[in-house]
Amino acid sequence: MGPVQATQRFVATTVLCVVVILASWLGVATPRVALALVVVVDVFVISVSLLTSRSFRRDHPVATRAVLSLVTVDVLVAASGFFSATVNSNLAIGAAMSIVLLGLSFLTGSSGQISIGNGAFMGVGAFTVAIWANHHATTPIAMVLVLAVVAGGLVGLLLGLPATRLRGPYLAGMTLAFAVAFGAILNLFGSWTGGDSGLQLPYAVNAPRWLFHFYSSATSSLTVNSVWLADVAIVTTGVALFFMANLFASRTGRAMRLVRDNDVAAELVGISLPRARVIAFIVSAAYAALGGGLWTIINNAVTPSTYGFALSITILSLVVIGGIGTIPGAIIGGVIYAFSANVIAWITAHTGLNPQGNVASQLNGIIFGVLLVVTILFAPTGIAGVVRRWAARRPR
Amino acid sequence: MIRVDDVSVAYGAVNALRGVSFEAATGAITAVLGANGAGKTTLLRTISGLVAPRSGSVWMNEARLTGQRTEDIVRAGVGHVPEGRGVIAEFTVEENLRLGAMITSRPLREALAQQYEWFPVLGERRKQAAATLSGGERQMLAMARALIAGPSVLLLDEPSLGLAPLVTAQLMRTVADLCASTGLTVILVEQNARSALRIAERAVVLYLGRIVADDEAAAVGRDDQLRQYYLGMVE
Amino acid sequence: MSALLTSRNVADVLSGVTNGVIYSLVALSLVLVWRSTRILNFAQGAMAMMATYIGFALLAPSTNYWVSMAVAIVAGMAIGGATERVIVRALYGKPEINPVVAMVGFLLVLESVAAAIWSTSSRGLPTPFSMVDWQLNHKPVAMSPFALYEIITAVAVMTVIAVLFEYTKLGLRLRAAAIAPEVSRLLGVRVGRMLTLGWMLSSGVGAITAVLVASNYFTGLTPTAMDGVFAFGFIAAAIGGLDSPVGALVSGVAMGVILQFVGDYLNSNAIILVALGMLVVSLMVRPNGVFTTARQRRV
Repeated sequence: MGPVQATQRFVATTVLCVVVILASWLGVATPRVALALVVVVDVFVISVSLLTSRSFRRDHPVATRAVLSLVTVDVLVAASGFFSATVNSNLAIGAAMSIVLLGLSFLTGSSGQISIGNGAFMGVGAFTVAIWANHHATTPIAMVLVLAVVAGGLVGLLLGLPATRLRGPYLAGMTLAFAVAFGAILNLFGSWTGGDSGLQLPYAVNAPRWLFHFYSSATSSLTVNSVWLADVAIVTTGVALFFMANLFASRTGRAMRLVRDNDVAAELVGISLPRARVIAFIVSAAYAALGGGLWTIINNAVTPSTYGFALSITILSLVVIGGIGTIPGAIIGGVIYAFSANVIAWITAHTGLNPQGNVASQLNGIIFGVLLVVTILFAPTGIAGVVRRWAARRPR
Repeated sequence: MIRVDDVSVAYGAVNALRGVSFEAATGAITAVLGANGAGKTTLLRTISGLVAPRSGSVWMNEARLTGQRTEDIVRAGVGHVPEGRGVIAEFTVEENLRLGAMITSRPLREALAQQYEWFPVLGERRKQAAATLSGGERQMLAMARALIAGPSVLLLDEPSLGLAPLVTAQLMRTVADLCASTGLTVILVEQNARSALRIAERAVVLYLGRIVADDEAAAVGRDDQLRQYYLGMVE
Repeated sequence: MSALLTSRNVADVLSGVTNGVIYSLVALSLVLVWRSTRILNFAQGAMAMMATYIGFALLAPSTNYWVSMAVAIVAGMAIGGATERVIVRALYGKPEINPVVAMVGFLLVLESVAAAIWSTSSRGLPTPFSMVDWQLNHKPVAMSPFALYEIITAVAVMTVIAVLFEYTKLGLRLRAAAIAPEVSRLLGVRVGRMLTLGWMLSSGVGAITAVLVASNYFTGLTPTAMDGVFAFGFIAAAIGGLDSPVGALVSGVAMGVILQFVGDYLNSNAIILVALGMLVVSLMVRPNGVFTTARQRRV
């Protein structure tokens, strides 16, 4: 792309941005809404302009990933203002789950290790947030989430160290034992964790004052709150996505893929096997904890029964169905999770099942379990893998 | 009698055998010679059914072997001593032999006794773990294990591999004696062409998956060109 | 003497052994599958649970315990054989992760289907023997007729399996098919059938184990009844060595005893934690198990 085209692009983008600013200023009622509109649309315009430039993509890969994350966040945050409370709630839960799936996808896809204990790592993050918030109510959410990440990372280190010496099935078994043991751990520290009933957050998580007015144009405070929570989840997911994308593409990420495919060769090349494996483990645990922490914030409470063995299996199912080792796969998994409750409710209604009955309550497990087995048998690369193969076949 | 009829085998993009045809006469020793990678092992594996040819077929007398499962080909009377011997190191000598005797209806004691007669060393070590045997002893065990079932055809894949010349010579003598006394049809794959040619009636030479010679063993042994280029027999 | 037998420590040992043989049986099931097909069957407990439901819930409640037990064993073997032929066979040669994932998914399906059909509420099974501890000089000894039945059954099962593998023709074929499948084919062994049989034996043992667990009226039969037991059984198998039946027996019983003491002197919540700790420590020292005969991979 020559300098002439670059200039053209720059001019076009600038003109468009100015037009948007003017239009908002003149056309919209309150200055705050106008500002919100300008920010959202102009970010979108600039991002698209950058992303469609092949030279930008080629020469600035890290920035490209940043812009990609930014534009995704931008679109979703804008959209959340128009979604109902239910949709926003699902979106938030699903986004948090995407983060967890990113972590597990990285672990299995990159270093070939299996973990069926990430539900417990989610629990670590979830309870960290709840316990901290109950003792220090003034800490900003961002800080609390960082704490959850650190806690998750530490536990990941603790389990990741022995994990380095274990081959596949033994490692899976160890993570299973951890998942089963997590409940006992929570009970052991029952005075901190609130026992069977769990903990509540001492306050409803709301937008901070300087942003509050952006969110107050909606009618009920419930909707406002759900929009804010959804946006928090979306932004956090965007950040997590950015880091993960960089990790995948980095030397560390490539080294890990080498470890996955041929650890003998990796050792010969000088990659420290144990180190690569532990890092992958820590990352997956930290991501899971972040997702769990978000869940606590979204639900405003945490209960131990949520973070049992069944959750770990669900997480594994979503990663496999979405596509192991791929970023789009994790996102797909999150979307599936977000709306699975609705889909199952629809199925229950349309097949005449008793919603309170045994079959209905187990439908979730049956469907995910069957999907998992079928996927691993017939399409082990998951939805993302199938789409990728199909896209590669299409004539250019 | 084993008849290989225009067999071609490919591993993915690699052609291991191309249009190979020859006959191994009943009661005779047919040597299959050639350098590494010529396709000799693939040929034996195709005969015993571990590998399916892309085209062509293998016949034993009037019966078509290709397309049948290995377990059934073996039960039809084809014994295969694989490359590396395939002795089950965790089992004792006798357990290895008992495994081989599964498909025969002869009484076990009789069958074992015969193998101990042919290979006295095995009799001495019958209760020892196969892992404790020397290379030559393992080769004998592998052969005894294939012979105990009373096959009519014996496929031997590089029996002399890793063995001292004296042991090799002894082994070849044993094979020749067995063949003479039992009318066994033997297909002997060897890189050590000299030792094989000493006991074989016919020899087939493979090069890059194709047959380049199919003649009496003595004739093959005398042919200087063959000896130099394909058999690595430098005098 | 009677004071010793009724003392707290001996009581822990006896109870520990009773629990331990159950773990050993689970570990044995896992070893059987691992040795024949190199797969860790995560759905082991769930398959056994389903077999138990078929034997005890599908048939009329008044059915004789032993008849139901027999039906459960047959059902277990059928489930195991079907699983190998349909799911596992499709996964040979694929990456190590695939069978693990498939079995975990299968576990979820089995537990959900069982809960869908029979609900999650606990179901009592007929108890063939009394669970009341025997008395010695009016003090209880930590052994009841039922506990003794468990121990005897476990020992009998392990003996039968051991004899089958070591001393019979079939056992020879099973071992050969597991250790050296290609060579075995060259000797006429129908390796495919042996693999299926390995799974059938494993799930048959599993069914017996689940029936024993569920016959305990403190727990009863629920879709998730085998989850905890499976975790402990897996830990025992991993510590002992996934390819070692002897390891399964020793580490199962040892674990049972140790954990009983932990639960008695410390805290019942600490039990799974100690078990997890034992697993981690053991695998760091001996990654392939204490009694394993496998050699470490060398470059």
